[in-house]
Amino acid sequence: MARVWIFGEDINTDQIVPGRYAPYMLKNEDDLRKYPFVEARPDFAPTVQPGDILVGGKNFGCGSSREYAPLALKMVGVGAIIAPLFARIFFRNALNLGIPCFTADLTQTLHDGQQVELNLERGLLTTDDGQTIQLPEPPLFMREVWQAGGIVPFYRTYGRFPGEPAA
Amino acid sequence: MHPRTLFDKVWAAHEVRPQQADTPAVLYIDLHLVHEVTSPQAFTMLRERGLQVRRPDRTLATMDHSTPTTPRNSLGIIPVTDGQAAAQLDRLRKNCADFGIPLFELGSANQGIVHVIGPEQGLTQPGMTIVCGDSHTSTHGAFGALAFGIGTSEVGHVLATQCLIQNRPQTCAVRVNGRLQTGVSAKDIILAIIAKIGVGGGTGYVFEYMGEAIRALSMEERMTICNMSIEGGARAGMVAPDDTTFEYIAGRPFAPQGADWEAAVARWHTLPTDEGAVYDRVIELDATTLTPMITYGTNPGMGMPIDGVVPSPDEMSDPSARTTLDKALKYMDLQPGQPLLGHPVDVVFLGSCTNSRISDLRQAARLMQGQKVAPGVRMMVVPGSQQVKAQAEREGLDAIFKEAGAEWREAGCSMCIAMNGDQLAPGQYAVSTSNRNFEGRQGKGGRTFLASPLTAVATAINGKVTDVREMLTEPVGV
Ligand code: SF4
Repeated sequence: MARVWIFGEDINTDQIVPGRYAPYMLKNEDDLRKYPFVEARPDFAPTVQPGDILVGGKNFGCGSSREYAPLALKMVGVGAIIAPLFARIFFRNALNLGIPCFTADLTQTLHDGQQVELNLERGLLTTDDGQTIQLPEPPLFMREVWQAGGIVPFYRTYGRFPGEPAA
Repeated sequence: MHPRTLFDKVWAAHEVRPQQADTPAVLYIDLHLVHEVTSPQAFTMLRERGLQVRRPDRTLATMDHSTPTTPRNSLGIIPVTDGQAAAQLDRLRKNCADFGIPLFELGSANQGIVHVIGPEQGLTQPGMTIVCGDSHTSTHGAFGALAFGIGTSEVGHVLATQCLIQNRPQTCAVRVNGRLQTGVSAKDIILAIIAKIGVGGGTGYVFEYMGEAIRALSMEERMTICNMSIEGGARAGMVAPDDTTFEYIAGRPFAPQGADWEAAVARWHTLPTDEGAVYDRVIELDATTLTPMITYGTNPGMGMPIDGVVPSPDEMSDPSARTTLDKALKYMDLQPGQPLLGHPVDVVFLGSCTNSRISDLRQAARLMQGQKVAPGVRMMVVPGSQQVKAQAEREGLDAIFKEAGAEWREAGCSMCIAMNGDQLAPGQYAVSTSNRNFEGRQGKGGRTFLASPLTAVATAINGKVTDVREMLTEPVGV
């Protein structure tokens, strides 16, 4: 089971990791794991567990292209992000890093702290109170990238683009 | 041939492989701009895999985000006192040296904010694809280029291959009709557009700005508008190139010369959208009724006419929007129904890739001339590049700002991002000409009102948010 973290609309990259916590500003780049939502939601980083799921309102990840925002989420092991609309740069960064993003509006359906299970392959979410929610099924291309842990790891493993037939 | 939009033409000319049902397109990139903050991990990736930079001649680096903007020392050097920032800059120096990438070094004559120097050097040209590890890369679209921000993984992809995997965005025409009134500027146009559509309103689209008001703008004003396309969620913003564009580029260091110039202009003339081409969406705005704009909240879509009042969360029908606004007003310590006119400010920041070009500084200086910054207010003027700074000093603009009691600083991102020592203290209010008013963006607990350079100067003089139209009887030329 994974915990649901509910976030509002228009969550921007400076809320996820303020510019002032850029990896190079830190003594140790690995410390970035301490800073997701450091000012916007200080209880997040100390308690988030690998596999936890972020559920946001529309336009999740707007703002900067700085990839250390999604990277910080990856470092703490965020299992997936679900939002009705993603800012495009964030969406691509997340894909490149292999963080699953599903486009669906669940902020009113789920509640903060709820326990759920997510089947990534099928995009199927099961909640602790017995609901099953079918998320839009991700294209093969994306599932392959998530599995490999990002686009570059995929290419290195298979020598082709995700979704492309093997040579 | 089927009539095509400006975007269609630029996209088609750069498709290495078109989009398939299940895989994005592969797009060729003409120009890749690099800065110190989003590039280190990308270079590490190249090293780990033993790769070279595919086209160092199509890549250019500068230092801007983490550089101090404090005055030079007696040796003419800008001292970097923050150890981590210094290490970051050293890393970019080494990466550029190892991979053969030209670098505009801190303090050198060409250094500046990445989106100011590209156009200034004539690197930014119509019809190009331009990327940078920075969301405000949309600025370069003012020249009829397709320019957008990318993440660090993608910076690595482009360094290694000069290509990028991309889904084809949709097109949106943003038509701004009529002419602006005195005291209303390009910044007000874009703030009004974002207030109208919201910060996610343009997601998935490339904007093409058009109409009488856009045609009448200078290149620098068009850049201000395209710069903030990303704040409306758009992938990029573009303006069709015209004589204003060509005049701006002519003679710049990287502009084509002689016969190449003639050929380039002929090619650029074919770029504007064909008669009858269709956009996926159209947005219209009337410039004649626009007023100076100001933001009251914690994203750039929370903007209103400067003489408006802060909206009430109770008026919002969508519960999620209500919570967002409620939270924003708490952070800003503002009440629904409250006017912003007359609201005291602590800091005025004139700078950033949105509004730090020579015409911004000229306009600001004209208004500032013979006036003083109000007691207790700190005003920072931060030119966008060393070239802008030098030009401003030749024109004596620095003296006007200094005599008024404002700080005249070295070029860089400065208080736009507050990762370089320039920042607000908790609880302080600022009028800022930058592009983001996110919580903590300009310093932890800092509160930002985004506005135009004219509004910023008027506010600095009075020490409180001011409608610049009250101070103007005639347009402030540039
Ligand atoms: S001035 Fe601000 S928005 Fe522009 S590149 Fe620098 S940090 Fe980014």
